[in-house]
Amino acid sequence: MSEEILAPLAGKIVKSLLKVGDKVEEDAEAFILEAMKMETPVYVPCDGTVQSVNVKVGDEVAEDDILAVIE
Amino acid sequence: MHPYFKEMAEFGNPLKKGEIKRTEKNLEALKAEEADIAEAVQAVENAGFPAEKINARGQLTVWQRLEYLVDPGTWCPLHTLYNPAENEEGTTNVVDGIGKISGRWAVIIGFDNKVMAGAWLPGQSENILRVTDLAKRLNIPLVWLVNCSGAKLPEQEKFYANRRGAGTPFYRHAELEQLGIPVLAGIYGTNPAGGGYQGVSPTILFAHQNCNIAVGGAGIVSGMAPKGHFDLETAETIIEKARQFKAKPPGSVKIHQDETGFFRYVFETEEGVLDGLKDFMKKIPAYDPEFFRVAEPKAPAYPAEDVYRLLPLEPKMVYEFDAVLSRLVDGSEHMEFRPDYGPEIYTGLAKVDGFLVACIGNRQGYLGKDYPEYADYPGFGGKLYRQGMIKMNEFVTLCGRDRIPIIWFQDTTGIDVGDAAEKAELLGLGQSLIYSNQSTDLPMMLVVLRKGTAAAHYVMGGPTANRNNAFTLGTAATEIYVMHGETAAVATYSRRLVKQKDAGKPLEPIIDNMNQLAREYHEKSRPLFCARHGLVDELAPIRDLRRYMEAFAGSAYQNPKSICPHHHMILPRIIKG
Repeated sequence: MSEEILAPLAGKIVKSLLKVGDKVEEDAEAFILEAMKMETPVYVPCDGTVQSVNVKVGDEVAEDDILAVIE
Repeated sequence: MHPYFKEMAEFGNPLKKGEIKRTEKNLEALKAEEADIAEAVQAVENAGFPAEKINARGQLTVWQRLEYLVDPGTWCPLHTLYNPAENEEGTTNVVDGIGKISGRWAVIIGFDNKVMAGAWLPGQSENILRVTDLAKRLNIPLVWLVNCSGAKLPEQEKFYANRRGAGTPFYRHAELEQLGIPVLAGIYGTNPAGGGYQGVSPTILFAHQNCNIAVGGAGIVSGMAPKGHFDLETAETIIEKARQFKAKPPGSVKIHQDETGFFRYVFETEEGVLDGLKDFMKKIPAYDPEFFRVAEPKAPAYPAEDVYRLLPLEPKMVYEFDAVLSRLVDGSEHMEFRPDYGPEIYTGLAKVDGFLVACIGNRQGYLGKDYPEYADYPGFGGKLYRQGMIKMNEFVTLCGRDRIPIIWFQDTTGIDVGDAAEKAELLGLGQSLIYSNQSTDLPMMLVVLRKGTAAAHYVMGGPTANRNNAFTLGTAATEIYVMHGETAAVATYSRRLVKQKDAGKPLEPIIDNMNQLAREYHEKSRPLFCARHGLVDELAPIRDLRRYMEAFAGSAYQNPKSICPHHHMILPRIIKG
């Protein structure tokens, strides 16, 4: 069973805290997206292991882009 | 109206495990900022002579008098760090706040008798203006602890005269009295000249047996023979007269109780004066809280301590405003007004200590790609857009009609700008909100949770833009400025950069100036700066925000000038639909 972390809005990735294989807990900070001069944190949706990270710092993402997958 | 108010809809959620873990650093950072603020407050409290020295003279300090006078647990200090003239004493030399005396709310102010025997200092009259305005806005008594040696003479030019100068409390006392607001004064020590009028201008005077009030003190009486210069002969005369008047200063209890009768009561002890004030506060008109309460008081369902985790110190970080509010209101219950309109703004009714209050605050974060509806760019909380401005105008107007005091929470980056925003009438809607606020004639309180910026700081209940703001609180995260420092640097230097570039000159000097301006903006927007310069009336520890809200609600409902019966209110019906 896997769960995707989606970008809640379009913006730039300014912080990425996940690495493939990391064990993560629900509500841990996964990414920080910058848009309109504000930083929006994106949280891990469930306990699990990071299966993939699809973005890196500096990437521009669109709303609903898949940023990472947690298994 | 109990079906509306007894149990409102619950909101907020307990913190999750991951949320607690990842917010640990934020909590520590906010508490470290609060520790710095507490240190500055301590320095003000320790200004002047140590308490032991004052006590050795048989006197209490102003702080000891307040502790004796005010009901335990009710003191909400204001203007503690206020020092707009940057006095070397570190204070305006008055101590004030809201507190209960004998179960009734009052605005309380006293001269700090540790510092120059309570002298007038620069900035003090501005401080007192805030205090008399507060009593007027909340319609509650003003209680003075007078102990004022008169003007600090070497700096008199900074405060003696002027439209807002040091004599203005005397007519403001008259103004309060004409509005039916009593001014009670406990009088201690030597109070010549300005101190004499501070003593005589209140409504009822409670004097300590060793106090005096006079048009002029020993210093003036002994020096009133100007010859154009001083010499040995005049010095000897001054010495002789000064000795005589020091032994017997004018305006003692013998004169002002036995002869003039100005002192209504005289007490042998320091505590006796305060007991007299306590006794009279029982005689002040005040509704029993039950008269206006809409429900039994309840603590919030979640601890105020959570706010240290929910409110990011980092100004760019978004958060959930509703979660913060749920930690501050009774039972974490509310009735939200127009939740489907103007998503950048929260408007709703809640209870504080069982009293109905209206809350308005900036929501943070992304508002969805279709909002604001008038623009092709995405909306972000903290900014104000057309719908949010219309919603606040409606809500404030209805609160005025229903006589519900308003608590504002600001964390705003300003009103949306650009031609689309102009077409959406945001300039006019901002002014409409100022008009609406002013029209309500309601007590308002403001908490600048984090950012107070641009005209949004004015229109959202800011003290600059209406007469109804009773007081404004800051937090350890507060920053107030017309715009962010980097934005200001761009606005100031962008054309200069272009000119410099076109002239083939180096850009570095301009860049240095830009960095300097941005740094200065940062320094001049920090919490301590805001408190010292009066941009906020106090920096409240986050865990005390609710105490101030309770003091505000209790004061606003103690003796309101107008009433809307609960069953005549329209706002709860509009919310219910």
